[in-house]
Amino acid sequence: MRRKVDAAIGKTPFSKHFQRFWQLYVMLILPVAYFIIFKYLPMFGNVLAFRRFRPGMSLYGTEWVGFRYFKMFLGDTAFWQAFRNTITLSLLNLALTFPLPIIFAVLLNEVQHWAFKKIVQTVSYMPRFISTVVVIAIMGELFSPSSGLINNLRSTFGLGPIYFMNEPEYFRPLYIFSGAWQYTGWTAIIYLASISGINSELYEAAEIDGANRFQQVFSVTLPSILPTIMVMLILEVGRLLSLGFEKILLMYTPSNSAVSDIIDTLVYRVGLANQNYSYATAIGLFSGIIGVFLVAGANALSKRLTGDGIY
Amino acid sequence: MKVKDTSTSSKIMNVIIYTVMVLSLLACLLPFVYMLALSLSTPQAIIQRKVSFWPVGWDTQAYRQIFTYPNFFRAYGNTLFYTIFGTFIALVMTILFAYPLSKTCLRGHKALTKMVVISMYFAGGMIPNYLLVSALNLTGTRLAMLIPFAINQFNLIILVNFFKALPIEIEEAALIDGLGYFRILPRIILPLSTAAIATIGLYYAVFFWNDWFNGLIYLNTRQYPVMLFLRNIVNGTMVLGNSSSASTDTASLSISVKSAVIITSTLPIIILYPFLQKYFVKGLTVGSIKG
Amino acid sequence: MKKALVIVLVALMAFSAFASPVAEVKEEGPLKFSMYYSDNATLPFKESWLAVQEATKSVNAEIQWEIIPIADYSTKVSLALNTQTNAPDVILYQTTTGENASLALNGAIVPISDYSEWTPCWNAMVEKYGMEDDVELLKLQDGKRYYLPSLTDVPFYDGGLILREDFLKAEGFDAPKTFDDLYAILKAYKAKHPESYPLTVLAGPRVLYRMTMPSFGLSIGKNGSGGSRVLSWNYDEMKYFPAAISEEFKAYLAFFGKLYAEGLLDPEMAEPIDGSIWSRKMATGAAIATWAYYDQIGGVTAASTIEGFKLQMYPALAGPAGAHHQQKNRTGSGIMFPAATAKRADFEQIVRAVDKMFFSEENSKLWCIGVEGTTYTMDGDKIVYADNIKKAAEGIYKYMQLEYGCGSDVTQMVWVNAREMTKYDENYAQINKAVEAMGNVIQYIPPTPKFDDMEAEEAAMLMTPLADKLEVWCNAFLTGKKSLDKDWNAYVAEMKGLQIEKYCDLYNTNL
Repeated sequence: MRRKVDAAIGKTPFSKHFQRFWQLYVMLILPVAYFIIFKYLPMFGNVLAFRRFRPGMSLYGTEWVGFRYFKMFLGDTAFWQAFRNTITLSLLNLALTFPLPIIFAVLLNEVQHWAFKKIVQTVSYMPRFISTVVVIAIMGELFSPSSGLINNLRSTFGLGPIYFMNEPEYFRPLYIFSGAWQYTGWTAIIYLASISGINSELYEAAEIDGANRFQQVFSVTLPSILPTIMVMLILEVGRLLSLGFEKILLMYTPSNSAVSDIIDTLVYRVGLANQNYSYATAIGLFSGIIGVFLVAGANALSKRLTGDGIY
Repeated sequence: MKVKDTSTSSKIMNVIIYTVMVLSLLACLLPFVYMLALSLSTPQAIIQRKVSFWPVGWDTQAYRQIFTYPNFFRAYGNTLFYTIFGTFIALVMTILFAYPLSKTCLRGHKALTKMVVISMYFAGGMIPNYLLVSALNLTGTRLAMLIPFAINQFNLIILVNFFKALPIEIEEAALIDGLGYFRILPRIILPLSTAAIATIGLYYAVFFWNDWFNGLIYLNTRQYPVMLFLRNIVNGTMVLGNSSSASTDTASLSISVKSAVIITSTLPIIILYPFLQKYFVKGLTVGSIKG
Repeated sequence: MKKALVIVLVALMAFSAFASPVAEVKEEGPLKFSMYYSDNATLPFKESWLAVQEATKSVNAEIQWEIIPIADYSTKVSLALNTQTNAPDVILYQTTTGENASLALNGAIVPISDYSEWTPCWNAMVEKYGMEDDVELLKLQDGKRYYLPSLTDVPFYDGGLILREDFLKAEGFDAPKTFDDLYAILKAYKAKHPESYPLTVLAGPRVLYRMTMPSFGLSIGKNGSGGSRVLSWNYDEMKYFPAAISEEFKAYLAFFGKLYAEGLLDPEMAEPIDGSIWSRKMATGAAIATWAYYDQIGGVTAASTIEGFKLQMYPALAGPAGAHHQQKNRTGSGIMFPAATAKRADFEQIVRAVDKMFFSEENSKLWCIGVEGTTYTMDGDKIVYADNIKKAAEGIYKYMQLEYGCGSDVTQMVWVNAREMTKYDENYAQINKAVEAMGNVIQYIPPTPKFDDMEAEEAAMLMTPLADKLEVWCNAFLTGKKSLDKDWNAYVAEMKGLQIEKYCDLYNTNL
């Protein structure tokens, strides 16, 4: 029905089309202006990577310097350390947290007690709504060496306190597990929806074949939600490099910086805090371009596998 | 649902399932219970490592203390302001864009969609964004917390997909009745879209409530939101309590005060979301990925 | 829909009311301007402070104070100066060493030396204390000075090693003279109280570093003198050397690493220990030694319940390079005007008001000792403090800071040694005499190189990774995560890879 209407309209001359739809075009004015100003101007603002910024002057810089800043950061070990840290943390994060919501959703689906299921669901979404500041503040108190619960527990076993928030070796585990704590329940919603769409005849057939509940999970549930898992995985790969910058900035201390300094925190420190704007823009642009390739690659992969792009 | 299975394997599975579920339930709740316990315990009990999940000494001093800080109230008021107006502006802008964008027959529809998608692929970085906001003279004004975040592309796409899925017949009947799109949108489309709007409204509200970094770089101290207030306590750049009395209690009191700030700044979101939950589960699954 | 549009428009208009920029210029009424203030957690700013109120009143101004936590201060100042759109009219607590030099040369800061006829009070103070030469040193490459520095007639020893004298007496120790003496004392305390960490630090390691490094012949890190972060001044050869990779630094790390390894140094040192935790540690005997300021002794003593508890400050300890304290100049951080302020019609009034507010004879007294009749009375030419101040448990100095806003290094711009001494007890005067007798304990701060703006940019870029690396490695060496024997060469190689030598040359060639 809609197709037909659209096709009919498509052939009408523009004046007539505009007469009919002008109100829709009027609606577009503000949002499009917003997009141009707040999404596209900063995008072009990246030319600052090739230009020299002078205080109080144009936000697009004052004179061309070519690849000066790119050459600088490519020879900067701080950049390469941040680059390595970004990749390592992203991959670890993906590997460890990706399966959790799937497991959680599959298990939750098997809960037969309706009210209990509802409670677990409601509570497990909650952390998603908590500010990163609060998450870090809670972690700070839980792991505090002088009064935190974890170290209190250690001291009852006669173990000395550990400065979890400050030791480099605990940075990655803390980052990843607090992320899992925040998002597992939330991400599971999508898998739950996908599971609830599975045709119940499939389970009946499996049962007739003598499969127990455990086997049903592997023979019916998981294969049925595999497309969803694939799409989610591709999405995750697409935003691989976009780590939680604000969270890391909050967790960053000089002593864990060898592992916690990622590209975004480097950009913040070099750019906004130490005012090398052009230099920081160059680094940001570089990682932005890698991000584009990742998203485009993920999208192409998705098209090939599922016949449909993500965007 | 499936027939009840009583075999041993099923029983084992039930044990596993319920154990995991109870553990995740506890994992989600206990940190908050711990914060609550700390905020209501006496400083001495905290320092002597006596507090776990139940207040020791039952002391509301921390709460009474934070209510004496004018800065806390100002920050809290600021956050309310940013959340209410930010969400309102964002919803208006997103709806204004999503509705025309859901009409594939519009000229330039393809170009506009491309414009949105490209901006998701590739964004201006932190520095260009900062320089833009300051070139627009928004730094140091409350608008800096609202205007730059008026449309989130993911929320926009959720809404576009939702609008696309609405039955077109009602709209056409209205058009025949002589209603323009200016009237159709608020009178017909929006009432049908409460689930989707509640969902993205909640997303926006949570974003504005939780934001602190933009406050740090864009705002003056009087305009700081409560999350930035909390961050300044957490990283020790700001000390709570009356530091002019250099008593040993202030250090330990600061732990319960910190917990009290955590509780009071998180409470509204925790209270709000169960009411909206029925909407957002629906909204998320309808609009997600590829509606 | 029209209604909705009207609502949107009205709402937008309402917002823009909020968005109205800082105080507009008015012809009549008080002078209005905004001011950045660096707020320290141990001394939170109060607008109701007597000194603030009186100083503001004396110039008939209405000041919009922008209170910024010290940890964010340099970032906020840098953002304001770089973009100039949200800049305050006046910025306190600034110098033009480091990054600010390039901002100044790029025209982001008012060259205040060009307006000297508008700063009569400051000029008079410079003349009064004979500081023309000191002030001359602050000029940048273009021959202009970009801020009004604070002025000190004679630098004094206001902080240093603080120890529990009662413990020393009980155990028969003499006052420590060298770092090895200190080691023996800490060791003895640890033996008696195995659960303690005898040496603790205030506000992260930076206070410890800046007060102890000079005795080892260096001064690096965030608070290192000169602002280069990784270089130090060779006082014999009169040039910079890459101190971060020097043998001096290695010796320094070896000493404090040993303290750490033996449980003599507080392992929480790497975290910013806030004043209240630090004070608790000292008061409860969890620690007996620290590097801090004399004025903090009173508060800790008042909080302690230990029998016979007595803290004492000692002169600088002798290290491999002699006994030295944190370097000081007669000029310090001061007041800066962003370039945008010069565009205001009442710029002259603002400069004159600020000059009078901080540097006039009356107000420089006000920021130090308050108001006659309220905080003190004159007995001949002797200052007598009010009873509540004299009796305060924290001591006169600290109490006046907290209660009246007097004696804060952000707002007090004129420091006269004789006047400062009235705020302390006899004991303090004696320590200062002892320090003076030792000769050259407080060395001068090395000169800042005069970079042009390209060189300043290059130096700033070389500095960031070097300073970051230094901080990480310094911590690792101290805490024993890296071994000085095995990993030192790797560290030196890394710093050389970050071009520390080129950075040093850049400094030396631009002196």
